[in-house]
Amino acid sequence: MQSLRWIWGYIKRFRGKYAIGLLLALFVSGLNMLNPYFAGQIVDEVIFGQRESLLWPLLGLMIGVMFFKSVIRYGYQLMFESLSQSVIFKIREQLYDRLHQLDFRFYDKTKTGDIMARMTGDMEAVRHFTAWSIYMIFENSTILLFAIAFMFYIHPPLTITLLTVTPIIGFVAYKLSYDVKPTFSAIRGQFARLNSVVQENISGNRVVKAFAKEKYEIDKFSVENEAFKEKNLQSAKVWEKYLPVLDSLAGLLMVLMILVGGIMVIGGSLSFGEFVIFNSLIWALNNPMRMAGWLINDVQRFIASAEKIEDLLNTEPTITSPVQSKKGSDSTGVVEFSHVSFSYGEEEEVLKDISFRANPGQTIALIGPSGAGKTTVINLLCRYYDADSGEVRVGKQNIKKWDIRSLRENTAVVMQDTFLFSDTIEGNIAYGVPDASLESIQAAAKMAEAHDFITQLPEGYDTIVGERGVGLSGGQKQRIALARALLKNPSILILDDTTSSVDMETELRIQKTLKTFSQGKTCFMIAHRISSVKEADLILVMKKGRIIERGTHERLLANKGYYYTLCKNQYGNVDEKHHRKEVIGYGTQ
Amino acid sequence: MARNKFDVDEELESPFRLVHFKRLLGYVKPYKKLMALTVFLMLVASLANLFGPYLIKQAIDEEIPSGNTGGIVMLAGIYLIAVIVTGVCMKYRIRIMARIGQSVIQHIRKDLFIHLQKLSFSYYDNRPHGKILARVVNYVNSLSDLLSNGIINLITDLFSIAVIVGFMLYIDVQLTILTLAGLPVLATIVFILKNAQRRGWQRLSNKQSNLNAYIHESINGIKITQSFAREEENKKIFRDVSNSYRSSWMKAVRIQFLLSPSIDNISVLTVSFIYVVGIASIGDGGVTAGALIAFTGYIWMFWAPLANVGNFYNAIITAMAYLERIFETIDEKPTVKSDPHAAMLPPIKGKVEFDQVVFGYETEERILDHINFKVNPGDTIALVGATGSGKTTIVNLISRFYDVKSGQIKIDGTDIKTVTLASLREQMGIMLQDPFIFSGTIMDNIRYGRLGATDEEVIRAARAVQAHDFIDGLEDGYFTEVNERGTRLSSGQRQLISFARALLADPKILILDEATSSIDTETELALQKGLETLLSGRTSFIIAHRLSTIKNATKILYIENGRIIEKGTHNELMEKKGQYWKLSNYQGHSIEAG
Repeated sequence: MQSLRWIWGYIKRFRGKYAIGLLLALFVSGLNMLNPYFAGQIVDEVIFGQRESLLWPLLGLMIGVMFFKSVIRYGYQLMFESLSQSVIFKIREQLYDRLHQLDFRFYDKTKTGDIMARMTGDMEAVRHFTAWSIYMIFENSTILLFAIAFMFYIHPPLTITLLTVTPIIGFVAYKLSYDVKPTFSAIRGQFARLNSVVQENISGNRVVKAFAKEKYEIDKFSVENEAFKEKNLQSAKVWEKYLPVLDSLAGLLMVLMILVGGIMVIGGSLSFGEFVIFNSLIWALNNPMRMAGWLINDVQRFIASAEKIEDLLNTEPTITSPVQSKKGSDSTGVVEFSHVSFSYGEEEEVLKDISFRANPGQTIALIGPSGAGKTTVINLLCRYYDADSGEVRVGKQNIKKWDIRSLRENTAVVMQDTFLFSDTIEGNIAYGVPDASLESIQAAAKMAEAHDFITQLPEGYDTIVGERGVGLSGGQKQRIALARALLKNPSILILDDTTSSVDMETELRIQKTLKTFSQGKTCFMIAHRISSVKEADLILVMKKGRIIERGTHERLLANKGYYYTLCKNQYGNVDEKHHRKEVIGYGTQ
Repeated sequence: MARNKFDVDEELESPFRLVHFKRLLGYVKPYKKLMALTVFLMLVASLANLFGPYLIKQAIDEEIPSGNTGGIVMLAGIYLIAVIVTGVCMKYRIRIMARIGQSVIQHIRKDLFIHLQKLSFSYYDNRPHGKILARVVNYVNSLSDLLSNGIINLITDLFSIAVIVGFMLYIDVQLTILTLAGLPVLATIVFILKNAQRRGWQRLSNKQSNLNAYIHESINGIKITQSFAREEENKKIFRDVSNSYRSSWMKAVRIQFLLSPSIDNISVLTVSFIYVVGIASIGDGGVTAGALIAFTGYIWMFWAPLANVGNFYNAIITAMAYLERIFETIDEKPTVKSDPHAAMLPPIKGKVEFDQVVFGYETEERILDHINFKVNPGDTIALVGATGSGKTTIVNLISRFYDVKSGQIKIDGTDIKTVTLASLREQMGIMLQDPFIFSGTIMDNIRYGRLGATDEEVIRAARAVQAHDFIDGLEDGYFTEVNERGTRLSSGQRQLISFARALLADPKILILDEATSSIDTETELALQKGLETLLSGRTSFIIAHRLSTIKNATKILYIENGRIIEKGTHNELMEKKGQYWKLSNYQGHSIEAG
């Protein structure tokens, strides 16, 4: 019921058109009665009555009615298709919107294949329902009601006798819908699992091949494929149990009519003519009852899918913009963490009591072992997650008071995991600024040291890269991702281990360019190499969710703590000047 | 073939061919006995149904006028039996058809999936993954109805058409021929509609594929989208993609829906024609009035199953748009495949040789240009050079992910093209640049390297690559669930997991493509201390930018623009004062650090 109410919300706006379509459908059912009548007239009047002059008009009527009918029918069929397309267009659009509102927490635990199943297979069930089932249900129930009313008008006792079957039919139909529903839900669930297995296999095809695990993958897939078949067969088992019963019960109406009707005629309580009328009307009682089982199936199938879609639509993002939200300002670059703690789930806190402040023009470096919480700091700064306690302030304003969109427009992140879209390189770099000019795109690419290799590609900036950027080396992908961020020209630039796959020579050049670029901006940088962080205005050394040391390179060295050890490990000794000279020396060559 | 993206329709390389349908029938063939049984059941059921009107006629003509209550009861009894017989037939029909339909679908999907496993990297590189997914899951599903009920209905409908034509011939041959004259007209209309309809459904399947691809990519790239605040732009694109799906749907049904009115109108025209001719014929004493009435009754009955056949035809045209995509995928030739006479590669000792290897992804392209080198068992080879110079390509060729354009790659003296892919790859451990994590536990992810490994072995591999500590620190340790995007794990952690995975395979040839690029220095150092043990007894190829990782290699290859420009040990290359020497200067003292 809930699902029906839900879909009504979408149909409602088209209810006028739906009503017209349904009326036309009814009208056509009425027209259907005409041609058999004309055919009868031809037999009675023309053939037996010898009134040959009537032949042509009657034939004309027959042809005319048929033509008229097919035109109308064609019209309303298209109308229903168009309406259902509009309905699912709307639903699909809302789903897509919702997917973009949902936050990282949702994506951390939801499989791509599951969402794909919602957006494709489940949507198809809704389409079928809105295009076909609704109209069938309407047509059948109208015919049924008309037939009952008409029969009742002619002869109530016989009608009532015939209707004694209805409670049984109702009961069986109820049992069917009760039993079949879980099987459809199971099919939908299994469909999602099948989707996930296939989609993961496709995404991970390189690993599958690298480890020659094709057989294992096929086995894994076969289990789900087999299960999908089984779930379908289980559903068919329910149909095979009830549908023939419903069909037979509908047939029983005929038996009852012959038996009771016949006896009534013999007994004189029913006229012979009335019996003949009943006989000619019984199909109108019969057919809808026969259809009932199939329609119930359709409805339950729809409900199973609709529930899944509704679930997704009703998943609320935990991170939303406040009603009165703040937009960017001059002081946007000021970033403050004040006693921030955070955990992803039940487990131990990933960040513990983090506090720091960054001003425009400053570069803040985060360094520390994997899993120390460096990326988490960034995740909170862009409000991909909300802090459990403490406050993150951007532009001297609590981040929760910001309009999320505006916050993220002011920040640009180059994530650890480089994702490129299957689009041209130009399109990928312009991802954040869709209307950017080619010049500005090229300028960004130059800053990211990507321009040279891009122009060497056969199609240059128009080269289409596959999903996940296949076709490019790791370092090339990272540089495109960097160009993508630089093009946004943000107030806050965040580089999360951006150049890990870039060779040293290029990396040094990028660092130099970034220095100029980030003037007046706040820049956050996560890195593992001391060489990348030592010029930063503030270095935060993180370990196990805490900032264990902070300060400039020199101060931290003087501290002789963790950073000092790290530096020693990387450079052997910390004779800083010697190293610097060499670098600069080569850079000017 | 050019790389495809979400808003580009895939060109159709196969024209309309009945072959596809025949091939589909091939899947149904194993069930032909069951099919025959179902057809038999359907015939019994329709026979039982035919009884109905006769029984009613009996009641109206005989029993009721004669007041024979017993007769009425008997007729009702017979009717009841007919009803029950119909019901029983229906029950088995549902059962059998569900089994056949679902089995065929399962079978097609499996064939498709198995074939996908054979396809090479380039297949996956060249099209959005959402499009491949749609073929395996959605397209195959759309065949279900055609297979389960379509074929059976077709058979029974054709059967009833034959029976009716038989009756018609029995009544009047001339009128029958006139009736059948409607068929060529119908055939012409069908023929005219066919091409438009086919194009319509092909367009639709393309748009559906595009839509799927866009959704798929949107989900995978959602974090980028959100961080770039690009939601509105994406919604606009989605709306366009969704809209072109909608309009191509409407275009397709607009044509498809024309068929049934055509049949209706032709049928009424035929009937009228028969009336005219028949009535004239009565005057001439040709046919009797009764015969004409009976005949026209049969014409109406003749067109009903014909309309069903028409619907079946529609369903085939629709399915064809999907079928050809499915079969196109099944027929896609893997660019890299085992030679039919390929032998198993014997246990690898570890000698690897590149002999004049030339390679490019596209025909004119030269990513690798005459690469030559020899590696002895147990050697560690480091590949260095700028990004995009061809390092990853070299290691991809060793695993035969792509085939060389010319030249040879030999392992222990055997050309890798002459051995089976499985026997080659099973003996190698590869850590790819982009670490992919499957959904499941971390334990399962590492175990992917060798499925038979015990928990202890998995943990040992994790310890060896310094991954144990962080895994142990997670909520559920090794049994922590991760998903396919590997969220919640940092890049470094994912690298460690895939490193452990490669190591667990206990390969004779180990390939590490930037295994430690995102790993923090502390872990890396610890890792390096153990690296020597990890690499001993294996031939290893290491790609790295940090020289500390590669200093101890047996041989260093400096790659630039697809050529090896320097080759030698660290000390040799340092003395040479060439590119490698320059590179190490960049990194200052990191080399001494070791």
